[in-house]
Amino acid sequence: MSTWIAEAAAIFAKDWRSELRTRFALNTLGLFALTTLVVVSFALGPIGASPLAPAVLPAVLWIILLFAATAGLPRLFVAEEETHTATALRLTATPSALFCGKLAFGLTLIAAIELLTTPLFLILVQLRVDSPGLLVATLAIGGYGLATASTLVATMVAQARGKATLFAVLLFPVLVPLLIMAVALTRQAVAGEAAGVALTELLLYDASVTVASLMLFPAMWNP
Amino acid sequence: MKTLAAWILYLWIALVIVGGLAWAPPLKGFVAGGESSRIVFFHVPMAWTAFVAFITAGVASAVYLRTRRPRHDRTAEAAVQLGLLFGALATLTGSIWARLEWGTYWNWDPRQGSIVLALLFYAAYLALRSAVEDHETRRRLAAGYAVLGLVVAPFLFFIAPRLASFSLHPEPVINQRGEVDMDPAILVVLLAGSLGFTALFYWLLDLQRRIAARLGREALGGAGSEA
Repeated sequence: MSTWIAEAAAIFAKDWRSELRTRFALNTLGLFALTTLVVVSFALGPIGASPLAPAVLPAVLWIILLFAATAGLPRLFVAEEETHTATALRLTATPSALFCGKLAFGLTLIAAIELLTTPLFLILVQLRVDSPGLLVATLAIGGYGLATASTLVATMVAQARGKATLFAVLLFPVLVPLLIMAVALTRQAVAGEAAGVALTELLLYDASVTVASLMLFPAMWNP
Repeated sequence: MKTLAAWILYLWIALVIVGGLAWAPPLKGFVAGGESSRIVFFHVPMAWTAFVAFITAGVASAVYLRTRRPRHDRTAEAAVQLGLLFGALATLTGSIWARLEWGTYWNWDPRQGSIVLALLFYAAYLALRSAVEDHETRRRLAAGYAVLGLVVAPFLFFIAPRLASFSLHPEPVINQRGEVDMDPAILVVLLAGSLGFTALFYWLLDLQRRIAARLGREALGGAGSEA
């Protein structure tokens, strides 16, 4: 067990080390999120006070997060296949430890995007959130589901052609239930309502995708 | 034996068509004196068959991942293709009916949303297949994606639609009280139609699978079976 944790931690540390050396994901992902955010907010203007805003803006926020994730997360495994380090990983790492290490890296990236994007978005469109606690919880739970599904799909895409486009095509239908539930919860957070049944359902989605990923990953990773 | 079964199926579907168009009474409250409701005898069985097809694909994929026998993968691929066909037809008939009854071809009713996303998911499945060169890798990745579909589908069909504030679709045939709230003749045709279309699906699946197997053998230069 302790070697399993050490393995996962080693994968996580390796990914961050190579990330900090190249800063590829941080630069492109951060800039992508920022650019999309600015374009969207510029097109919408400060509409936070309009009566339609509480219905529309949560959906816009989640679409920005989804696109940012699509731009950055395929790198998780594509980089391994491109630099031909995937074979070494296949030989040395336990699949479940590898998955969890990669997932942890993806989670930190998503958390960074959310931390960068959400406050800026709320400021730029001047949207008032009545229960910030629920918003943070939604971002955390939704971000986890986003990262888990992305990690599994990234494993598949890394072994196919046309990786970046294919990633979005494969990931979006899987993530739509998450998107619907997260948007519903964000609307409740904006309106200051108590979290509805969507919170439980989102947790259930996260749990299902985690179990499915842990079961499927070994078969998706090892030829 | 298979020829006989095909003929029985042919007669069965013919009877369903006649029963739906001539024998069952029109549903009250629909336009054109209820005559427009007759599309239900095709719309519901096709939606049901698409559902059966996608479940079949998911189960066959799970079996493939366990056994790694190519014939299970051929079943999954053929089931997805046919599921897309039946799903597209269900969407199309539903859309025509919606134009007559609700006034628009498309109004983002929760079930319209679910089926479109299911179609997108399985179209993505085929896109994944076409993006992988190596046969073994293609089967493995596609099977994984189809199994993921089985995991996500309940959220798409049962949970996410409940978050919508309204649905124009009626309750399922067996409603929450456990009673069947429908004219017996209409119910008989609907059930016979669903059964007939499901049998039609499995017949087409068998054909498609055999074609795929033969094409696979020919690609190998006729040397041995791959199954």
